[in-house]
Amino acid sequence: MMFLLPILAALLKEDPDLARRLKNRDPRAMAELYDRYGRIAFALIMRIVRNEAAAEDLVQETFIRVWNRVHAFDHERGALGPWVLAVARNRAIDYLRSVEGRLEKSALELDKLEQPALFMNLENSVLNIDRVRQLRGAFEKLTPNQRLVLELAYYEGLSQTEMADRLKQPLGTVKTWVRTALKLLRDELGEAAVA
Amino acid sequence: MTHEEMRDLYELYALGLLDREEEQEIEEHLQRSCPECVAALRQALETNALFGMMPEAATPPKRLRKRVLASVGAQPPEFGWAAVWASVAACLALVLVIGGIKMSGDLQNSRRELRASNQQAEQARRELQAGNAQLSRLQEALRFLNEPQTVQATFGGGQTVPPTGRVFVNPTRGVLLIAAHLPPAPSGRIYEMWIIPKKGAPAPAGLFQSDAQGNVVHILSGPVNRADTAAIAVTEEPAAGSSAPTTKPFIVAPLPAHS
Repeated sequence: MMFLLPILAALLKEDPDLARRLKNRDPRAMAELYDRYGRIAFALIMRIVRNEAAAEDLVQETFIRVWNRVHAFDHERGALGPWVLAVARNRAIDYLRSVEGRLEKSALELDKLEQPALFMNLENSVLNIDRVRQLRGAFEKLTPNQRLVLELAYYEGLSQTEMADRLKQPLGTVKTWVRTALKLLRDELGEAAVA
Repeated sequence: MTHEEMRDLYELYALGLLDREEEQEIEEHLQRSCPECVAALRQALETNALFGMMPEAATPPKRLRKRVLASVGAQPPEFGWAAVWASVAACLALVLVIGGIKMSGDLQNSRRELRASNQQAEQARRELQAGNAQLSRLQEALRFLNEPQTVQATFGGGQTVPPTGRVFVNPTRGVLLIAAHLPPAPSGRIYEMWIIPKKGAPAPAGLFQSDAQGNVVHILSGPVNRADTAAIAVTEEPAAGSSAPTTKPFIVAPLPAHS
């Protein structure tokens, strides 16, 4: 399976000044931002919506949002990468929900979770090849059911109640799968970071 | 909830997947700046970001970079949509002939359009067969037009100032807007399509930009309540789009009465 590792190396070299230049409305900074994160955002959105035309629209919407909200971004303490990925994922999940008629979760709720302030005190260094490898390794150690519920959460935007309906399993069972899976990932990533 | 119980939920919280009660409890707790939970939320955001990098690689078409930069005024729009527009016009004409869709415009003009378009149809088919990525939107448009449930509305026919075009609404596929003579929105602005219901507020139906030749093919994918839709409209909005129209619609295409 081919992952994004070959293009992740570029993320390690992010110009710390990029967010400041974006806030100053430097057009070259926007081109640089797209060159760094455009492919990753497209891959993530394609994984979620599985429709190239829709993915193009959603990538465009992602970068327009970032451009228009970057004024609220703390370029001293914020991390652009995690923010861009959160915006991309949320745009795709919002689209998927509207296509599937799952409107009980509003776009406003997702909007709240991509506010730049939420991404303060993160570091772009978390987005590196080793960390993705560690996550992938940890993910492979999960049981099939644990992997399934995490994929439903991250890439389909299903709540635990929606997962229980989809999988025809008791809600308590689904919650146990999710909780156990996330704890295992946390432990593995934490141990790797310490090592 | 205890700290330990909250710790288990931060990833889902940051993904917007908790129920309202759980979400509210976590937010109230975070507002107290509990250092343990702030750190837990930060770790959850990092894990979520790493998940965003797990999917298999997918290469976006080169035109997307230009489109993104043009939409924020960082680069002049230089889309290669001329071929797409020509192909849409050609295939639209074919569909109209084969499917017998009733055109509300001038029949004489339509016949001339058909004759002119026939020469372009073969080229369009070759491009589709070659799998040209730039035509993916055209393919979606064609599927749209071929659906028997699709209804159409026109706009701009009687006005002295362009744009002109057609809107196609399909209850399962969504809305397809094809327009001509629409200059690209100025820097920092974008066009936004709206679904105008018979009752209630307009619903946003996607952002788009016209190409350098003034052509547009915009698709909103997803189910549309045809019976409750009165018209499709377009306004000019700030580049991030708006949740409600902030300018007067310059395109309004009333849908025919639903039978």
